[in-house]
Amino acid sequence: MAKIEVRELHKYFGENEVLRGIDCDIEEGELVCVIGPSGSGKSTFLRCINCLEEPTSGSITVSGHLMTAAHANIDKLREDIGMVFQQFNLFPNLTVMSNITLAPVLTKKCTKEEALDLGRRLLERVGLSEKENAYPRSLSGGQKQRVAIARALAMKPQVMLFDEPTSALDPEMVGEVLDVMKKLAQEGMTMVVVTHEMGFAKTVADRVFFIDEGVIAEEGAPEQVFGNPKNPRTKNFLNKVL
Amino acid sequence: MGFFELLQESLPMLLQGLGLTLQLSAVSLAIAMVLGLLASLMGMSKIKILQVINRVYVAIIRGTPLLVQAFFIYFGVTGALGIKMSAFTAGVIALSLNAGGYLSEIFRGGIQAVDPGQTEAARSLGLTQAQTLRRVVIPQAIRICIPSVVNQWCITIKDTSIICVIGLAELTRMGQQIIARTYQSFEVWIIVGVMYFLVIYLLTVLARYVEKKVSLG
Repeated sequence: MAKIEVRELHKYFGENEVLRGIDCDIEEGELVCVIGPSGSGKSTFLRCINCLEEPTSGSITVSGHLMTAAHANIDKLREDIGMVFQQFNLFPNLTVMSNITLAPVLTKKCTKEEALDLGRRLLERVGLSEKENAYPRSLSGGQKQRVAIARALAMKPQVMLFDEPTSALDPEMVGEVLDVMKKLAQEGMTMVVVTHEMGFAKTVADRVFFIDEGVIAEEGAPEQVFGNPKNPRTKNFLNKVL
Repeated sequence: MGFFELLQESLPMLLQGLGLTLQLSAVSLAIAMVLGLLASLMGMSKIKILQVINRVYVAIIRGTPLLVQAFFIYFGVTGALGIKMSAFTAGVIALSLNAGGYLSEIFRGGIQAVDPGQTEAARSLGLTQAQTLRRVVIPQAIRICIPSVVNQWCITIKDTSIICVIGLAELTRMGQQIIARTYQSFEVWIIVGVMYFLVIYLLTVLARYVEKKVSLG
């Protein structure tokens, strides 16, 4: 069984049908990059996976749990799905360490001491050990995003979702965030990454989805999608961005 | 009577009145803060009926004068229900209902001003809606709200003077009584005014200090 299974996913915002039937399977340990023009529905697709957007119809299964079930304990299920946002969304009223430990402690994943210990290890992993007691406002964009990744990892998720994680960064900070993501991919994390970083998609992705007008217009290995796109819409898009 | 003689003579009464004013303010504002928070949460609830209750409440409070509200509670409600109520109790009810209505709008504004991304981040980590509100949204909303809340506190402290109409011997009422005896309206209202001013001034100084302490600046 695939780690993430999406079937016939439709999403309306009012009258506007943003997702028009998405079907896909994402295997454990796979890194899928989702590319496409803005307004194509790629972020909405990602946000449906952990039900930040409630699908209008269709089903989503993550690690064997049906997210879209009427009786699903969505808070519990989200503990296993980490999410990283374009705007970082760190909690400005908490220190870096408290940002990381808040959720594991509140959801009773671990004790305060264990969480602190875990937090230190995660900060070391993203190269920010010295920022433990800093507040988010004192960090650069790249540092903020690395803390956000550490915060998501603190819940020991089985899947990580990235919603344009480098789009709000100054160009010189993109690399440090992508490096952390690459390391994570090498460790076997299942990842879905909505991105405009075509270089990252080309070199790191196992598979690329090209979403256009609410459907997966093309999918395949990066060499195929970038090197030899079959769909004229993919060709058109890649001509514009590459 | 000379000014200082008048001051000396009337000070005990005025301080007694001031004490009652402060008590009335403190109790009413404490209740109003809780009431305001509950009402604001009702106003933002997904449950339609709670929203409607909040909207009707705020509309009535904003749409009618405090004086009418105080009369209604002290004379109207007690009369209709055949119950007895002290002027202090009636004053607390009127002031806390009144300030609670305004505070609920202030709190709603503050909570809605917190970036929705904060809620999304907290929910994506598995926090429940209540945990998100308590640990992430409200602490940030408080910072946003402080200036408006302090403003409302100042207004309510001064509004306690309106409660003198139902016979509560607070500061303004004491002033009237002294004038009835001495006819020195000019001096007495200056003294009373200065007393209100000092209380409010101290409050705003304290508030600015607290605001600085909690600011994320």
